[in-house]
Amino acid sequence: MTDRPTDNSTEARPRPRRHFSLDDTQADSAKPPGNETEDALRGTRRFDTQTAHQPLEPTPADHKALPEETLYPPRKRRWGLIVSLAGVVGLGSAELVTGIPAAFEQARWLDAAWQLFGLGLMSIGAVALLRELARLKRLKHHDKLREALAELPQRSPRQAMQQANALRRQLKLSDDDPHWQAFQHASQPHHSSEDIMTLLDYHLLAPRDREAQRLISRMSGETAIMVAVSPLTLVDMALVAWRSLAMINRLCRLYGLELSFISRLRLFRSVLYQMAFAGASELATDAGMDMLSLDVAGRISARASQGLATGLLSARLGLRAQRLCRPLAFPPEQQPRMTDLRQDLWRQIRRLDTQRSAQPED
Amino acid sequence: MQSPFNTERLSRELTNLMERTRDRQLRLAVTGLSQAGKTAFLTSLVNQLRHAGLEAQLDLLPAAREGRLLGAQRLTQPDLGVPRFPYDAALSALNAKPPRWPEPTRGISELRLQLRYRPAQRGWLTPEFSHLTLDLFDYPGEWLLDLPMLAHDFDSWCQAQTQHNGVHRQALFSAWQAGVEQLDPAAEADEAQLADLAAAYADGLKQAKQAGFSDLQPGRFLLPGELDGAPVLQFFPLPDIGLSIEQRQALPENSVYATLAKRFRYYQQHIVKPFYRDHFRRFDRQIVLVDVLGALNAGPERFEDLSRALQQLMHSFDYGQRSLLTRLFSPRIDRLAIAATKADHVTPDQHSNLVRLLEALLAEPLKDLRFADIPVKALSLAAIRATQAREVNQQGQRLAALYGTTLEGEEVLIYPGDVPARLPDEQFWQQQGFDFPHFRPMGSPHEALAHIRMDAAIDWLLGDKLA
Repeated sequence: MTDRPTDNSTEARPRPRRHFSLDDTQADSAKPPGNETEDALRGTRRFDTQTAHQPLEPTPADHKALPEETLYPPRKRRWGLIVSLAGVVGLGSAELVTGIPAAFEQARWLDAAWQLFGLGLMSIGAVALLRELARLKRLKHHDKLREALAELPQRSPRQAMQQANALRRQLKLSDDDPHWQAFQHASQPHHSSEDIMTLLDYHLLAPRDREAQRLISRMSGETAIMVAVSPLTLVDMALVAWRSLAMINRLCRLYGLELSFISRLRLFRSVLYQMAFAGASELATDAGMDMLSLDVAGRISARASQGLATGLLSARLGLRAQRLCRPLAFPPEQQPRMTDLRQDLWRQIRRLDTQRSAQPED
Repeated sequence: MQSPFNTERLSRELTNLMERTRDRQLRLAVTGLSQAGKTAFLTSLVNQLRHAGLEAQLDLLPAAREGRLLGAQRLTQPDLGVPRFPYDAALSALNAKPPRWPEPTRGISELRLQLRYRPAQRGWLTPEFSHLTLDLFDYPGEWLLDLPMLAHDFDSWCQAQTQHNGVHRQALFSAWQAGVEQLDPAAEADEAQLADLAAAYADGLKQAKQAGFSDLQPGRFLLPGELDGAPVLQFFPLPDIGLSIEQRQALPENSVYATLAKRFRYYQQHIVKPFYRDHFRRFDRQIVLVDVLGALNAGPERFEDLSRALQQLMHSFDYGQRSLLTRLFSPRIDRLAIAATKADHVTPDQHSNLVRLLEALLAEPLKDLRFADIPVKALSLAAIRATQAREVNQQGQRLAALYGTTLEGEEVLIYPGDVPARLPDEQFWQQQGFDFPHFRPMGSPHEALAHIRMDAAIDWLLGDKLA
């Protein structure tokens, strides 16, 4: 009589048998599972129509939204570099500062001037270093935003709206920017976070995508032409490196990323890494088309085909960089492809070549 | 038949055939039992598509979001013998003062819409504007339940009808039950007695409908139309009579059993079959509308009843992949949406639970569809939104609530209660149960009707044709 089996469970998950006595069921927090719904479901609740109320923001708040740690592997801290840098700055400035009074006392003005000059240099260096660090932090912040946005479908609509705001700030859009306004007009209280993501993609990022596409097409075209007309291989190489960096820089600014020297190098490295490894399979599928267009390039001059090849590479680099910079990953069917760019490039090079062959060579 | 009619018909068929060859014609099945919201859905669909290029909020439909969808026009429908869907009447009811829901459908009506849009990708051959013809039709939900009867003969139908009777349902049919137990199937049929019993049976069906049951056959008993009083509507299932098949077959022509079986066959062949053949065979897309909240309000027995009715119903449609040949000669439904209607009657945070409950309700048909590899999307929608989602600050807590006007005209700010993600057990029903309120429409003259996720539904059903 005192023992009660809990086999009236409707749950699919089997639970180990537990025995309860009748008088401790009240105190025990583990109730028979049949009663769970009774606690979980709230009943009808009427409010006075005069109660103050405002438009419903999507769903109750749950503020501990985003995971603290990111998916990136923890970076090794270069303690050696940090210690030696800090040592040089700290000890050097101490040395210089302590030297100044002595130099003044003995009226060695030139020494004092040198010491002040050295101090100045060091502080300039330190400021530059700090600025680099701050911008690196911003890059990290961008990474975090990317991750948060990638996880949007699992979040509640309210958190999704918070992330949308973060994205707006990242893209440096003001509150009354037409694109943001259009997004706000489109979003409805019943939209799920996936819907919000679709709308964000369309209203905030699609215009930037189009701009990025134009930029890549233009810059890779220009690179192709430059290589086609430049007389020296060494100059070619310098040109390509310089222009590629510039392109990545502009792409980043387009997606609201401000790059410092180191972060630019880091991004460039990850773009190259992506191209070398992650992009290898894509390269294989695209290679056929590339070969084909290069084969077609057999009909144009060797210089022009060199330019075309370089332009293709540069365009590919641009697309990779765009994919890395874009705060929200491209939906698979909207991923920009090489095909459109290839057509553009081919047209530009072709025009150049026909113009050149039309003129008699000197 | 007269020859002019035939040529006219032939040319109509030819045009349809050409349109179907080009895949520019879709027939959408809006399936739902009575009170599921078919008329509201159709009204809203026409309204949204009419306003698509302008102020309709269709942001989840890419063609509309990108400004490619230019709108829709009503065309003269193909079959002039069928009434036109009363769109204007429904709209004026919604915009009346005070606004009311459109009248329940009492007969069949058709509507043909032409959608005009700009194709997403301009190629060499794609024109600047394309069009898509959408065929819709509306019918009383009660009649829909007759379709599963086509798969039965009289004996198996009797068995099926008496199999699933719960306590409540039996109580509603007690008058008929008492009469039918006196009846000897082998005796000579007495017309008056059969008519009385059939009337009692029809009465039971009507009461069951009032009480919220859904699995009610035959449907014409509830809404007889022009057949009122005809002998074809004077039959009913016989409970287990304890005779073998041979003995039953041997019963004389004028016995009660043979008379009822004959009327059943007549009903099947002359009422259900034409209805099915003329309207239900050729569909390309389907949306199944289910009033989950109404079923929750009504209680567990009705909920299971609804589940069973829908399960039987889904067997009446052809599902399968489409190709050019099947498109022309035996159209099949290649894409399906199941929708929990009246989503505006609960707060937005409960919508996901509503969808899960809907999936639980349709679990069996969904398995079949999965087996046939038909893409299905479950969603919650409100074709015509009647409430506003608000937030109440009370004792430092922010609570979701709905602001709307009840059918009685009282303005309320209410939290309607949680929707369970699966069906709660018996004990819960006895203790608490559900009481989701009903609201009347908001009324928005000259504007597109407010809605919840109509755009997602349209995208799923038509979006691929608007690319």
